[in-house]
Amino acid sequence: MEKVRLSNFVKSLLVLSMIAPLLTGCWDRLEIEERAIVLGVSIDSVSQENEDDEDEVTHIKDTIPVPEGQMIRVGVQIAIPGKIPLGPGESGGGGKGGGGQTVWVIDVVGHSVDDAFMNLQQQMSSRLFFGHLRVIVVSEDLAARGMENINDYFRRNSEVRRMAWMVVSKGKAKAFMEAAPKLERVPTLYLMTTVEEAIRMGKFPKDFIGIYWSNTSKKGQEGFLPYVELKKEQNVEISGLAFFKGAKMVGVSKPLEIGAFLAIKGINPAGYRAFVKLDGTKETVMIASTHRKSKLDVRFQNGRPHFTIHIALDINLEEKMSDSLNLNDPKIIRRIEQTEAEASNRFGMEFIRKSQEFDSDIFGFGEYVRAKKPGYWNRNVRSAKKWQEIYKDASFEVITQVRVRRVGMKAR
Amino acid sequence: MTTTNSLASLEDKIAFINGQCGENDDFSMRPFHVFGRHPAVLFCFSNMVDPSMLNKDILKAVMYLPPHLANEDIPPERLEHVLVNDVLYYSLARLEKKPAKWIDGLIRGQSVLVVEGVKDAIVLETRHIEKRGIEQPATEQVIRGPREGFIEPLGTNLSLIRYRLQSPDLRINMMEIGRRTQSSVAVCYIEGLTNPDLVAEVKKRLSNIDTDIILDTGYLEQFIEDNHISPFPQVQNTERPDKVVANLAEGRVAILVDGSPLALIVPTVFSQFYQTVEDYTERFLLMSAVRMARLVALMFSLVFPSLYVAIISFNPELIPTEFAVAVAGGRAGVPFPAVVEVLIMEISMEVLREATIRLPQQVGGALSIVGVLVIGQAAVAAGFASPITVVIIALTTIGSFATPAYNAALALRLLRFPLIFMAGIFGLYGVMIGLILIANHLLSLKSFGIPYLSPLVPGIFQGLKDLLIRGPLWWMNKRPGLLQTLDSERQNPKMVTPPRKTSKDILDPNKSMDEKER
Amino acid sequence: MEHPRSITAIQTASILVSTIIGVGVLPLPLFAVEAADSGGPLVTLVAVLLSFAGLSIITVLGMRFPHQSIVEYSEQVIGKWPAWIGSMLIIAFFAVLTSLTAREFGEVVVTSVLKKTPVEITVIVMLLLAAISTRNSIATFSYIHFFYFPLLLWPALFIVALSLKNADVLNLQPIWGNKPKDFLGGVITIAALLQGSFILTIVIPRMRRPEKAMISSLIGLTIAGGLYVIIVAATVSVFGAEEIKQLLWPTLELAKATSLPANVLERLDAAFLAVWVTAVFTTLLSSYFLTIYALRQLLRLQEHKMFAFFLLPFVFVMAMLPQNIVNMYDIIEIVGRIGLFLTIGYPALLLLVSILRGKRGKRHGESSSL
Repeated sequence: MEKVRLSNFVKSLLVLSMIAPLLTGCWDRLEIEERAIVLGVSIDSVSQENEDDEDEVTHIKDTIPVPEGQMIRVGVQIAIPGKIPLGPGESGGGGKGGGGQTVWVIDVVGHSVDDAFMNLQQQMSSRLFFGHLRVIVVSEDLAARGMENINDYFRRNSEVRRMAWMVVSKGKAKAFMEAAPKLERVPTLYLMTTVEEAIRMGKFPKDFIGIYWSNTSKKGQEGFLPYVELKKEQNVEISGLAFFKGAKMVGVSKPLEIGAFLAIKGINPAGYRAFVKLDGTKETVMIASTHRKSKLDVRFQNGRPHFTIHIALDINLEEKMSDSLNLNDPKIIRRIEQTEAEASNRFGMEFIRKSQEFDSDIFGFGEYVRAKKPGYWNRNVRSAKKWQEIYKDASFEVITQVRVRRVGMKAR
Repeated sequence: MTTTNSLASLEDKIAFINGQCGENDDFSMRPFHVFGRHPAVLFCFSNMVDPSMLNKDILKAVMYLPPHLANEDIPPERLEHVLVNDVLYYSLARLEKKPAKWIDGLIRGQSVLVVEGVKDAIVLETRHIEKRGIEQPATEQVIRGPREGFIEPLGTNLSLIRYRLQSPDLRINMMEIGRRTQSSVAVCYIEGLTNPDLVAEVKKRLSNIDTDIILDTGYLEQFIEDNHISPFPQVQNTERPDKVVANLAEGRVAILVDGSPLALIVPTVFSQFYQTVEDYTERFLLMSAVRMARLVALMFSLVFPSLYVAIISFNPELIPTEFAVAVAGGRAGVPFPAVVEVLIMEISMEVLREATIRLPQQVGGALSIVGVLVIGQAAVAAGFASPITVVIIALTTIGSFATPAYNAALALRLLRFPLIFMAGIFGLYGVMIGLILIANHLLSLKSFGIPYLSPLVPGIFQGLKDLLIRGPLWWMNKRPGLLQTLDSERQNPKMVTPPRKTSKDILDPNKSMDEKER
Repeated sequence: MEHPRSITAIQTASILVSTIIGVGVLPLPLFAVEAADSGGPLVTLVAVLLSFAGLSIITVLGMRFPHQSIVEYSEQVIGKWPAWIGSMLIIAFFAVLTSLTAREFGEVVVTSVLKKTPVEITVIVMLLLAAISTRNSIATFSYIHFFYFPLLLWPALFIVALSLKNADVLNLQPIWGNKPKDFLGGVITIAALLQGSFILTIVIPRMRRPEKAMISSLIGLTIAGGLYVIIVAATVSVFGAEEIKQLLWPTLELAKATSLPANVLERLDAAFLAVWVTAVFTTLLSSYFLTIYALRQLLRLQEHKMFAFFLLPFVFVMAMLPQNIVNMYDIIEIVGRIGLFLTIGYPALLLLVSILRGKRGKRHGESSSL
């Protein structure tokens, strides 16, 4: 009996000694305060004269072949631990000096995203950590040059979340890193909140980086990204959709056209407002859409797809410009509905035509064909390139039905 | 072996007893004459007997010849008969042949009376040991339920059980364990209900114990449990007689030791450690919620610190961005890695807790609160720990107090240290590995053949009614199936509950109104 | 010698489920989508049906010989030496399967969470965990599976449920895919992920009522296969077929793309991976247990415990053989296809021969004294 116990003891000792070497290593332990938490990344193109800024970190100049093409300037916004206080009190930590500067913005140049990050790491003591990367801002001109490298790097990096946002900026992307809006402790979070609140208010479709990637990958659909602009008070405006064709940005929409996009896709909640000018009179009313619904149909005419889009909009009346209009009259209401329906049809058609000009099917009509009419797809399309060609020639019809539901607290 | 035959004369007997016990200064030997003529000696350990009883009921009785025998001449050969049957009006007296038993009796507080001409000695139960009163069980207090707890003397404890379980089927079997202490051990079960194989196994395990002292049921527990190395208790202990009775009625076996206020209950499964008596006296809905809270506390006390370490040091991407940045700020001044920080705080917490137990009660309560506050505050102020660590440690500690069974809480409390280590090496992955190891160990444990995690694990669905939730009493018609009781039905399944189903609304307000109107 | 029969039908089903659900779930949608685009769920369903056919062969065989495992009855059916070769191949195959599973999960962990930890460490930790646990009896083995089985289902279902708000039914259509290129290949690859169900051959002789084995395997495979199909369907509907082709472990990516409501946890990939350790553990446990248990029976020994650590170095070395992750997935695919011959073909052969030769074991309940 004693012997058995002893040998058991020896055995467990052996197992323990096998495990013991494991205890020596904490390979991946990296305390949260030792990480440089990257909250936002901006990517700009670089003008020729700035290329000399580059450090020789990943390659010595003229020895190792560098990737073709222009270089990029990558800026990061890093949270400064200690400047953002724990807990709700102490009003932004402004008391302890530093003027409420909660983040640190640095930028470097590089041939590729990873190259730039390595150059940056060379200048930083803490390890860059992308687990909390929330916003990637890409400048317009770089987006137009192509996003393959950017998409590939962030997709491959396991730290980056799919719920992050990628936005295209009007002008310099780095400006967004440096902007310090008053509402949020952390500037990047302000940009993110702007977009996310826009979704909740029905002003923007859900378009996380993951959704953008999925859309870009799809054969019958192109990706789109929010197009943002920095205003004078360092606030951010969503000023449209950036159209992509493959990985290249090809155009921009107007802000209200996002509404058209949302209506065509039937995305809820609805949030856009528009003027309706009743024909024959000079009366104008402002309406707000509250609910959208859309239905898509496709037929084939001479081998070309013809899409019919039925949109149903519920709207509320928000204001009117003069007292002469009596909203108690059902006829007036009907007329408002009709006018808005026509306007919406026109608007939708125009927006689709615009996307056709860019060869950019951001709506996913192609996906609809692939899913519902696989016969046609298999015979005629089968690739993203082919669909871009067909999309250009596709014909559309938008039929909107508008219902006024409520007129507010005022009776007339 | 000496027998009465070899100790024929009174002198021999005196010599024998004195030889065994006479060296003790608290041993008393009182020579006197029975009925004024037969020389006799009364032996006892003077501090273990009740002197007034000895004087009034025994000495007085045997010294005076009772009136109804006054005219009779009692020959020496009848003396034995007369003494036991006519003179000693004392219920616990018996004739004992074996001198070894005399000594046995003496050391237990009995008195031995030897009389000239009487072959055997008369052993009298005169034991009297000071005992404290029956108090509230200190470690298992309830708001609703009986207030009695076991005390040290076995007799009192058995009486507490018997008066709650007034059934002829309650069996109490005694045995003596401990070469030197000769402690009385009582094995209680219900005949016709408890599985006889279980009773036999318990008795077998008990009788196999051959050690010199048994001072508490804790000694026994360590000899009869199935796995000695495991940190988890495989035998339940309780100070509550009602808990013992409830368990006996479920088909378990209780073991009590003289001198210990704790009873052992076997076999035990893990779920018993987070159930309390009160669960069954309060309403089931509320107590189910409370039981869930207790389970959460149990898990907290095990995994919370290691999860914290894993998230802070390995996967900060899991927590919300604003919080992560703030946590980084909170930790910015702390010189140690999170593992070390948590370990230091945990260990000082254990020290504090241990110190609180050792301190006199009047000081203890004050110190623990002050200590925690002061140490927590000071540690943060000194940049020794981050505020969040203090919160985590506090939650963990409080969580471990919510577990009703001290020994189970202790096991989980200690197991969180290896988990913190694992978290420090592998992060969440390590925590999971550690938890799997613990779970696998629990799954391989058995208490008297019953899997430790039953009824969850072999999948006894009847038992699930009382596992995470506390099912209403009218649901639980069967006894726990895993105990394989002889009689499985607890109550009449056809009993009508609630009674309202069959009876009318007796005090319907309409009735009184009808009467008034009339 | 009669073994104690302790395993219930529900436990058998849970053994099947937790054995089948393992690390294979992580790249599963990729395999499915590469075969048939949006037809991925269909491919998976067909694969589940195929492996059910294989499993029912094993079950029928097991019920024909309710007192013996495949190692024992194969000797009766096709003679000692051929059976020895067959059993040896099975043992070798499951040893390889164990090592590949450990390696695959090690790679996942090292790629996504513990980036600097050597892959050897993550592999050896998983293997040690399995080896320590295989030292228990088969009753404890079944308890372990039964205990973890709900823990496997709910995180997967939870992720699926949370991800549904980003789902798009359009991505699932047409359900047979756009001209699938390699439908059959996909079916076979996915069926290979399900071959852990072979564990049934050693479970049946320990079942309390072996005649219920068929129901158990039906329930077990329905749950496990159902989860496979649900996961593929959810992943495809969220990402779309083309995007999945860009992802190495789409299921993990799905966890990454979901966050708990109210921002309790902002992303679930690391948490999911941690919970998934249990799933991989049960899979490893089964294949390793099968290896050493069969080896014990082949060598006619009383105890299987001794092999637990004896085989460990071999399994570990095999796990370290693939050069890189691409190489590893090539090997997994080849090994899986070979394995299908072993886990379906060999029992089919045994069944055929045993029917032709009229061999059958003693029924359950008859005395087994020989």
